[in-house]
Amino acid sequence: MAVLDIRDVSKTFGSVHAVQRFNLTVADGELVCLLGPSGSGKSTLLRMIGGFETASGGQITIDGEHVTRIPPEKRPTGMVFQSHALWTHMNVFRNLAFGLKLRRLPRDEIRRRVEAVLDQVGLAGYGQRMTHQLSGGQQQRVALARSLVLEPKILLLDEPFASLDQHLRERLREEVRDLQQRLGITTLFVTHGQDEALALADRIVVMRDGRTEQIDPPDMVYRAPATPFVAGFIGSMNLIDGAVQNGAFHHAGFTLAVPVADGPAILAVRPEALDIVQASAAGAAHVHRVTDFGAHAIVDIELGDGVRLKSQVPDARLWKAGMAIDLQPRAFAVYRDDVAIHRADRA
Amino acid sequence: MPASDIVGRARGRVPTGLLLVAPPVALVCWMIIWPIFSAIARTLWLPDPEGGRQLSVATYTFFFTDSYSLNNLAITLWTTGVCAAFLLPICLSIALYLRFADGKLAAYVQGLAIFPMFVPSIILSYALIRVLGPNGTVDLLLNSVGLPKINTPYLTPWGPVIGLVWDNIPITVLILLSGLGAVSDQSIEAARDVGANRRSVFWHIILPRITNSILVAISFTVLGIFSAFTLPYVLGPAAPEMMGPFMQRTFRDLNDPTTAITQAVITFCFCIAFGIFYVRSVAKNRKA
Ligand SMILES: Nc1ncnc2c1ncn2[C@@H]1O[C@H](COP(=O)(O)OP(=O)(O)O)[C@@H](O)[C@H]1O
Ligand SMILES: [Mg+2]
Repeated sequence: MAVLDIRDVSKTFGSVHAVQRFNLTVADGELVCLLGPSGSGKSTLLRMIGGFETASGGQITIDGEHVTRIPPEKRPTGMVFQSHALWTHMNVFRNLAFGLKLRRLPRDEIRRRVEAVLDQVGLAGYGQRMTHQLSGGQQQRVALARSLVLEPKILLLDEPFASLDQHLRERLREEVRDLQQRLGITTLFVTHGQDEALALADRIVVMRDGRTEQIDPPDMVYRAPATPFVAGFIGSMNLIDGAVQNGAFHHAGFTLAVPVADGPAILAVRPEALDIVQASAAGAAHVHRVTDFGAHAIVDIELGDGVRLKSQVPDARLWKAGMAIDLQPRAFAVYRDDVAIHRADRA
Repeated sequence: MPASDIVGRARGRVPTGLLLVAPPVALVCWMIIWPIFSAIARTLWLPDPEGGRQLSVATYTFFFTDSYSLNNLAITLWTTGVCAAFLLPICLSIALYLRFADGKLAAYVQGLAIFPMFVPSIILSYALIRVLGPNGTVDLLLNSVGLPKINTPYLTPWGPVIGLVWDNIPITVLILLSGLGAVSDQSIEAARDVGANRRSVFWHIILPRITNSILVAISFTVLGIFSAFTLPYVLGPAAPEMMGPFMQRTFRDLNDPTTAITQAVITFCFCIAFGIFYVRSVAKNRKA
């Protein structure tokens, strides 16, 4: 049973507001992903939870116990760093045993626990290897095992697989998810990759400039992005800057009926929700390029003023560059002043 | 590729390679190796009464039976040991501070620590005399508040120790700092994360990674201090004196080059011993 509670936490470095009044409660056994572009304050937030940075303001509690002023060595958190940060002068066994030795556990118990955890991360029998004799993926597994062996209440991972190739990253991601669910350990996972977040998380926190943009389960973040930033950041998304007048959204010859008040607006449509039809007359847009991916195709569309959009179509052969077309969004959202004021889904 | 090709190519490269290393090797032989052998020869092939030369270890026997010479060797070893004992903890603390602190203060400390490198030994000697010598700045300050004078280290064995320690701080700090640069922040944070306090981090994470740098630093300073001249000459006592001033006085004042060269050869042997110790421990660490 471990609940992490973050209340109004801020961190400033000189004039840089790395994290601004951040709030989040992570439930027992939950895996929350912090997702955001580089520089959005994800690492800083994680490091404050681990105790490596002191919060400029706010409070962090773990199971109701204040940890904000506790040094990292006394916190019940375990951190896995981006570069594995293994101790190269120790072999794998000693890397894992170090924390247990500091806790003055008996030798047998240390051996038993280290071997059990090595087994869990799929590295049984690797105890005597030096760290430089391991592959990148194995090193990250050791780093994970080094945290897990101490049975922390909260597991913190800061882009742990960023330096690995795509294939390995996907495999380790699944392993982490399995392990986390089996152990039921409350976990905070930092990533700047949306795939990783969508695949792993119970909930995703989308961050931007040290602030929260949205906290929701993956499907909600994907289907109902709270802000244009989230809409553009997760998955691919057409964002069209325009204005609403008399119940219709306008942008360079393209119009769409929307039931919102007059004013500036951003229309967001995913490529898979943007249908196109051949125009009877001049059309609002024309086909710029067609890229065939076999199972589907992507049509690059150019609006009257040169703005480009993408549409995902089932059959590439129906479309040719230069063809005049009309746009028929099936599902879309309208944003004004950074909030969604209308969503439509004509599925 | 046929073997003859490789041989041919390798053979073609030999003259260029040799030409490249020849000048430095020749220079080393001429300026270092040859003088060593000639010095050893001159202390072993002594003139005999008939005007010829014969093999004799008389000068060495004299050195190792003469209590004055032995005292000088002892004070040299003592000074070297004491300096090393002071330098290591002082410089390690400074280097650790510089590695982990940031901001303006650290920059000033770094400047101060490196500063002695730019001060010639002779200037440093006189500065120390002005500050710590009889009626120096410290005495004047103490006097002005009505306190008794200090027991000045000037012209005692502690004079050279103070000077040599100060003089060797920059190189020692720089070597240790470069070793500490190889210890990543994340590996230290990972240690804190598993429960290591500052002391455990130092003992178990930092120290094992910088043993080589410590060895290099100690060897550098020990070699330099053992054969130091200016600071012991100006700041040290007249007797016993360190090997540097001892050689100079034997050579110039006593006009006895053979004995002076004997002293030099003995000094050289000690330095070689330190050198071998250093090379062996570095090699052992590499292997581990
Ligand atoms: N130690 C530091 N000193 C000064 N600025 C920092 C420090 N750490 C992070 N920052 C700044 O804080 C902001 C957030 O950084 P970070 O938390 O590393 O972002 P992320 O992990 O999302 O890429 C950035 O603008 C970064 O430059
Ligand atoms: Mg980061």
